[in-house]
Amino acid sequence: MDGIGFDIALATLSLAFLLALAGVPLLYNVLMSFQQVDMFSLGSLIRPWAGLDNYRAILAQPEFGLVMRNTAIFVIGSITGQFVLGFGLALYFNQNFPGSSTIRGLFLVSWVMPGLVVGAIWSFILAGDFGVLNALLQMTGIIDEPIFWKSNPALSLYAVIIANIWLGLAFNMLLLSVGLASIPRDLYEAAELDGATRWQRFYTITLPMMRSTIGAVLSLGLIGTMQQFDLFPAITEGGPANTSNVAQFWAWQMSFKLYDFAKGATISVMMLVLVLIASVVYVRSTRSEVRG
Amino acid sequence: MKRTFAALAVMCTVSTLALAAQAEPVKLTIWGLDGDNGLIPTLASEFDAQNDDVVVEFRAVAFDDLVNETLKAVATGNAPDMISLDNPDFALFSSRGAMLDITDRVAASSVIKPDQFYPGPWASVMWDGKIYGVPKATNTIALFYNKDLFAKAGITNPPETWDELLEDARKLNDPANNVYGLTWSARGNEEGTFQFLPWIQMAGGSWKQVNGEGSVRALDLWKTMLDEKLGSQDVLSQGQWDSTGTFNAGNAAMAISGPWEINRMATDAKFDWGVALLPTETAGGIRSSAMGDFNWGIFASTPHPDESFRMLEYFVSQSDRLFPEFSNIPARNDIPLPSTGDARKDAALKVFQEQLNYAQPRGPSPDWQKISKAIYDAMQSALTGQMSAQDALNQAQTTIDGILNG
Repeated sequence: MDGIGFDIALATLSLAFLLALAGVPLLYNVLMSFQQVDMFSLGSLIRPWAGLDNYRAILAQPEFGLVMRNTAIFVIGSITGQFVLGFGLALYFNQNFPGSSTIRGLFLVSWVMPGLVVGAIWSFILAGDFGVLNALLQMTGIIDEPIFWKSNPALSLYAVIIANIWLGLAFNMLLLSVGLASIPRDLYEAAELDGATRWQRFYTITLPMMRSTIGAVLSLGLIGTMQQFDLFPAITEGGPANTSNVAQFWAWQMSFKLYDFAKGATISVMMLVLVLIASVVYVRSTRSEVRG
Repeated sequence: MKRTFAALAVMCTVSTLALAAQAEPVKLTIWGLDGDNGLIPTLASEFDAQNDDVVVEFRAVAFDDLVNETLKAVATGNAPDMISLDNPDFALFSSRGAMLDITDRVAASSVIKPDQFYPGPWASVMWDGKIYGVPKATNTIALFYNKDLFAKAGITNPPETWDELLEDARKLNDPANNVYGLTWSARGNEEGTFQFLPWIQMAGGSWKQVNGEGSVRALDLWKTMLDEKLGSQDVLSQGQWDSTGTFNAGNAAMAISGPWEINRMATDAKFDWGVALLPTETAGGIRSSAMGDFNWGIFASTPHPDESFRMLEYFVSQSDRLFPEFSNIPARNDIPLPSTGDARKDAALKVFQEQLNYAQPRGPSPDWQKISKAIYDAMQSALTGQMSAQDALNQAQTTIDGILNG
């Protein structure tokens, strides 16, 4: 077998695969956001050109600002919660107490469950009058009146964030545990001999050694959070009055509930640009870290 | 066994005859929901069996996929011959010429007579003065009330005006025993608009005109209910089915919902209940209510309009079976509903049939879903105190004007 030919074939195959399954739909989506789309042109590629009309219309929507703000809070809140709690759990199970690896395995249950199921469960837990969480809080006397997690505009977005943190926790913990396990033990032993405190060991050994793992976890977390959709229809449907609506749910609503496919595509292109900016920032920041 | 054999023999004879008579039977495809206790597949297979020149194929589509699947099918030229669509979605297709104009066929039909239908459902199949479909069945909403709790509170009759509704809700509200005065659905989706629009209409507004003084009074009434905790704040995220579930459990003294609740209520509710017409704004004021359920329509692209219309006529001719066999209320005012054997159910159905005379369609508008979102967003913004009722409805009106004039 010709080695070079085979290499080229492998590269071509993977490129073709990428182009067909990711590139074409992506470009189609971008194209659609500049077109007028209706029922009869839904299946065609060439449609009346709309220029920036769809973008202007989206910016002019009364809920635009609220949805963007919600998206930012959702992404930052979810990633922070998942990461901090996930890191905490990873460090906890890294103590290697009896049964630690088994219990750590059990934590993966949340990751195995489909988002819609998780959403439905949290919907029960967070229900107002007969919710599980309210019942617990009332029983322990922490609150007197039920908290309407799903219907209070100040809380609805956080209801989804709580569910999303729970959903992504296990994944964060797992990746961070692997990172922790790969740090050589003797580094800690040497530091301990030199009289480094627990905090100093964490700050000067654990964190620097975990840099690439943390980077991967955070960027995967960003992608996962921007993709998180299932929880929204199951818990709040973006309500009340769009207070828990985020860009990905809004795009879906536009396309598949209001049947305005061009505007749905427009919102997703805007999101894509945001993710691109975020990833550029991320790549640049890790580069400088490596040098420093 | 014997019967099966006989049936087989008949079928063989029939198909042989059919083969002799004509080369190939016409294939009709019909799409619809698989709900309604099998209404569509049952009627479709009956029509298939009774007509040798026709073969009917039914495809069940889930409610959430129905419009998207149909849009895709129309766009790619693969639409079925016939469909049953939710009435507010119907104009999306009829207004764009996707449905067959059956005005002349209906005029010549001895089976389909427009004046036998309730005005609300019939209005939803019309577009631009032409007939594009026929209502399949219909439903509406009214006020369920817990007679035991009413007696306990010393109230003799269900409320007839908005003021009475509010007053009764205050009297019936009993937080110590986990009882709300009223439950309904103010959800942020089509259900929310379905429940709220009648109140705008009772106050003199319409889906085209939502920011008048009357509409503001209607929204303020709902807001008062929430502010005084006469209803659970979860009406903002609850659908009608869950909301009425709390009524059945005795956690609300009144509920606004439709006839689809009756069977469950008859078994679940451990108290005496009744149904009343939706209270009007003032005594003797304008009556209104929501109008639900699906419409039959034939696609303009069908190669077999004659056979499709014959099938439609067959469906309409079976209207008297809708209620006893499929628990659907016919959209016609000339068909009496047979007794269910349960006095409470019969009384409830009578009220719903009266309420149906005032039921109004949502739209028809090809942009109904956007108009509906403007309405439920405004409703939720006001109910959660993010905007005043007037400001919220003004914003909705701006959106609606943009759609109507755009």
